[in-house]
Amino acid sequence: MAKTHVRNNIRTLRFQHGEMTQQALAEKVGVTRQTIVAIEKEKYSPSLEAAFKIAAVFGEPLDAVFSYEPGSR
Amino acid sequence: MNMTFQEKSAWGSLLALGLVSYWYFPAAFAAAGNNGAAADLIAISIGCVVALVIIEIVYHVIIASRGGGAKDERDVFINIKAERVAGFVLGIGLFTLVGRIIAIEAIEAITPVETMGALTIAVWILFVLTVAEISKLASQVWYYRAGA
Repeated sequence: MAKTHVRNNIRTLRFQHGEMTQQALAEKVGVTRQTIVAIEKEKYSPSLEAAFKIAAVFGEPLDAVFSYEPGSR
Repeated sequence: MNMTFQEKSAWGSLLALGLVSYWYFPAAFAAAGNNGAAADLIAISIGCVVALVIIEIVYHVIIASRGGGAKDERDVFINIKAERVAGFVLGIGLFTLVGRIIAIEAIEAITPVETMGALTIAVWILFVLTVAEISKLASQVWYYRAGA
C-alpha cells in the first residue's frame, strides 16, 4: 500500500510527551491502536476530526503535527 | 498478528463463508439440476444458512470476549473500499449470468440445447452474490494487512 501525501510528526511528539504509547494516544483520540499505527506510517490519512483530536492531545496546532506533501499521484 | 476486532471479524467471516460455500454450491447445483428437487435445494440451503449463522455467532462471541468491537473511521473507510470491490464483482457476475442465459436461449432457438432451469438460475444468482461477498471480505483483509 502506497504512502499517503500527508506527513506527520506523531512519533516525535509521542516521544516528547513522555513516550506516550500508541495505545494511550488511540484511546485519547477514540480510534484503535492499529489506526494510529497506520497514520504514523503514513499509510492512512486521518479524517480532519481525528487530525484535530491528535493535535489537541499534544497541545499543538494542526500544522505542527501534519503537513501535506504534494506528489505525482 | 495484531488485529482489531473488525479485522478478526472479516477473517472469520471469510473463512466461514468460504468453507460453507465450498460444500453448499456443488450440492445446490446438483439438487437444482435434478428436476423436481426443490425440496432438496431448500433443505440444503436452510442447513447451510443455519451452519453459517452458528459458526459466525460462536466465532464473534469468542473474539468479542477478548475485547474491542467498536468501528473507528479506518474500519469504515476500509469497508467502503471493500464494498466498491464487491459491487464491481457483483456487476460483472450478474452481467455474465444474464449474457449466458440470453445466449443459451438464442442458441436454443436455432438448435436444441439444454437450457437452465429456474432453480439453476437461482443458485447461480446466489453464487454470484456469495462471490461478491467473499470479494468484499477478502478485500477488507487485504486492506487491513496492507495497513490502509
